Amino acid sequence: MSVKHTLTTCPYCGTGCNFFLQVVDGRVVDVVPCKTDETSRGGLCIKGYNAHAFVNHPDRLLHPMVREANQLTKATWDDALRRISSELNRIASEHGKDSIMILASAKCTNEENYLFQKLARAAIGTNNVDHCARLCHASTVAGLLQSFGSGAMTNTIPEFEDADCVLVTGSNTLEAHPLIGARILQAGDKGAKILVVDPRDTPLSRVATLTLRQESGTDVAWINGMINVIISEGMLDKEFIDTRTTGFEELKEIVKKYTPEKVEEITGIPKEDLVAAAKIYASGERAMIAYAMGITQHSNGTDLVRTLANLAMVTGNVGKESTGVNPLRGQCNVQGACDAGALPNLYPGYQSVEDAETKTMFEKAWGTKLSDKKGMTLTAAFNKALTGDVKAMLIFGENPMMSDPDIGHVEEAISKLEFMAVVDIFPTETAKLADVVLPAACYAEKDGTFTATDRAIRAVRKAVDPPGDARADWKIACDLGKMLGGAGFEFDTPGQVMAEMSAVAPIYGGIDYERIEKEMVRWPCPSKDHPGTKVLHADSFKIGRGVFAPIRHTPPAEETSEEFPFILTTGRNLFHFHTGTMTRRSAKLQREAAGPYVEINEKDARDLGIADDSSVKVSSRRGSITLSARVTPWIRPGTIFIPFHYAEAAANRLTNNALDPVAQIPEFKVCAANVQKG
Amino acid sequence: MLLERVDNPGKLRFDVPYQMAMILTKINRFVKEGKIAIVARRCDEKAIAELVKRDLLDGSRLELIGLACSAEQVEACRCTDPCPSRVDIGQPSEPVKDDQNFAGMLDMSLEDRLDFWINQFRKCNKCFGCTLNCPVCFCDECLLEEKTFAPDKGIPPGLTFHLIRTVHLADKCVECGECERSCPVDIPLLSLRKMVNRDMKKMFNYVSGDPERMSPLLTTLEGDPMEDDPNVC
Ligand code: SF4
Ligand code: SF4
Ligand code: SF4
Repeated sequence: MSVKHTLTTCPYCGTGCNFFLQVVDGRVVDVVPCKTDETSRGGLCIKGYNAHAFVNHPDRLLHPMVREANQLTKATWDDALRRISSELNRIASEHGKDSIMILASAKCTNEENYLFQKLARAAIGTNNVDHCARLCHASTVAGLLQSFGSGAMTNTIPEFEDADCVLVTGSNTLEAHPLIGARILQAGDKGAKILVVDPRDTPLSRVATLTLRQESGTDVAWINGMINVIISEGMLDKEFIDTRTTGFEELKEIVKKYTPEKVEEITGIPKEDLVAAAKIYASGERAMIAYAMGITQHSNGTDLVRTLANLAMVTGNVGKESTGVNPLRGQCNVQGACDAGALPNLYPGYQSVEDAETKTMFEKAWGTKLSDKKGMTLTAAFNKALTGDVKAMLIFGENPMMSDPDIGHVEEAISKLEFMAVVDIFPTETAKLADVVLPAACYAEKDGTFTATDRAIRAVRKAVDPPGDARADWKIACDLGKMLGGAGFEFDTPGQVMAEMSAVAPIYGGIDYERIEKEMVRWPCPSKDHPGTKVLHADSFKIGRGVFAPIRHTPPAEETSEEFPFILTTGRNLFHFHTGTMTRRSAKLQREAAGPYVEINEKDARDLGIADDSSVKVSSRRGSITLSARVTPWIRPGTIFIPFHYAEAAANRLTNNALDPVAQIPEFKVCAANVQKG
Repeated sequence: MLLERVDNPGKLRFDVPYQMAMILTKINRFVKEGKIAIVARRCDEKAIAELVKRDLLDGSRLELIGLACSAEQVEACRCTDPCPSRVDIGQPSEPVKDDQNFAGMLDMSLEDRLDFWINQFRKCNKCFGCTLNCPVCFCDECLLEEKTFAPDKGIPPGLTFHLIRTVHLADKCVECGECERSCPVDIPLLSLRKMVNRDMKKMFNYVSGDPERMSPLLTTLEGDPMEDDPNVC
């Protein structure tokens, strides 16, 4: 009989709550919240409380599988790994190294992502490595990098509580980041003004001080409009603009046209509300902006992020406690996967692959020649698979057959590949199409670190052994690295991987496991005696001055038509997480939101004769799905919403893969659709 | 936190109010034999008494190590009954005389009280923390997970969710305050509990946590214990 409690980090959203996994006789049986954790303070959301539920699920992958005569059949680790390395070697020599793409994973640890990108760069010899940040916050990384010089959340989660004003846009915080939402509510209890700008009513907007409902895809207009009001009301922070920024005059010129009247015309937001919101935001001593996919997942996502940065800078709300521009990252380690260099253009620590000096540094550290050519993004890789430029994919813990826009297109791209290997914990929609499937350990079965959305490096600790023959991804990456002839894959523990990563990525310079055991450190943390950084850009921006970006409103890539009169927007609900591979295998979460549904406004429903809970067919230019209607007053007429968790009615059959030109993030938030009685 | 071997207790701290009785109930399903020693505050002790009375725990297999809460903890929990029946660790502290939160609530008019609670419950995120961390919330099939009473269409879950809980724990709640401490959105759940407990005392002269007295809701009108399975609630 043995009972133990292992402190670890939640595998769901990027808030990074810690909790104890309760282990009885080598089996994870329950979750106990951790009262001494600064982030969660003894609370969790319903997903966190159920984070043990999928660990022992009978669907877990237990053995490697290799496709023989079009059937996935059980194989030994040796055979499966050899098959991968020989196929990759063959394809590299026949079609070039750049015909291979590695997808890293925001669900894996920092150490694992470090190894995935090293596998691509040092063992295979290509910069073709990317992960699902491309689908969520690629525009944040690009946009904030240009405006501020650093692509991460400027402030930290606990600071929300002490803000005077929190402006939330494109984030359903209480459902997608429940414990950050809770902090915002606490700020509200203390008297802070909460502003929500969202085309849907969310649980947060229902308790907000003021809610603006814009038409999807018109965000540049209302943000420029707010800046216009702030300028005309004289509520600018002149000193901040003069001493800390450049480009204000150009911005001023552009926003001139965005008068409240004009903005009302474009966005549908009543002009009085816009003025009121601008005044509330600008009069706060400490105003925080929080945003998520509603801003980033647009074909002009990078521009949108930059307009938010403009708004913060004109009011001097950067570089101080409880201010800033705060992207809420969606997955437990999407921040860390970016930090660790699982991006096609950046080495670990956001260092450019095109910079000769950096490249030489990494060549020395890894003892091999590296490519100086920027790699391919995830979204580009699927397009290039169709044209035959990408021949092989090695996918760690991602499920593009659910998560990517226009799944029909993804499916076709995959069928064109010569080889695809998938490493995952469940037989996902993508794994079913693979040539080799490797069973991975889940978060409860390995050591490592996740980096939360506020840059805090959090320990993931092994509570139990992986089931069957499953192995931790870091071990798999090391084995593959060695088999492919790469040097520097001889790691015995994740701690050794972190030691190497901290040596090459200056923002992680002071991170080691001993420290993480004792304290919560947030990067940048360049040395062992550095305390870590809570507020970014305190004295100066990383690029010297903050850069204003003058940006015009442009309509979304796809507009409504007679045939497709609705705007479809997608997102999450509280109870499920992403493609549902974990949460839909958790009984209590599944009970709360069992099947796919589309939210539609009461009036629209009445016009179409659609009753609550009845079956409807939703179609777009790319496909159609059948699901049940949820008739609600909480969404704008003309807009419909579908959560993307449900494989049986995958929202991404409908979405558009129009890309942002800079970040190549797809436009998940706007697509033209039609609803009919099904 | 939970130790298997007493010869190596590692780093122990007593200043963090984990509800050991709750942790015990979670593992009790799996630990079928042997004795279990548990560090118990007064509220743990009372919660264990409620569970033992209902045959949900085997009292003869438990060894209680009494932990007296510090004055700060008593203050933080607004606790009126802080001293365990045996004190092995710590020094007993005085109970609080009056709880300001609770007193303030009793001063409100009924309409204001209703408004107050509606506004509080609007913040609820349906995390089930108040239920999962409560040491005396033990039903296998929870009514809060039943769609008829607590609809499954998103959050907030509506007033019934909270009211079911409020009444369902009327004869069990030991005022440990864990529900309030676990609530991520600071709903003052302990004050609500205290109001119900006050009524239980007034109406039935019953206080939960007494190992000798059966709940008035589980006895016949004559005051005899019911013969039916007391676990069916
Ligand atoms: S808020 Fe996020 S990190 Fe915290 S428990 Fe919920 S899903 Fe996990
Ligand atoms: S105070 Fe709350 S958690 Fe404690 S016994 Fe009462 S209802 Fe349960
Ligand atoms: S702990 Fe608070 S937020 Fe969670 S279910 Fe209970 S009342 Fe709601």
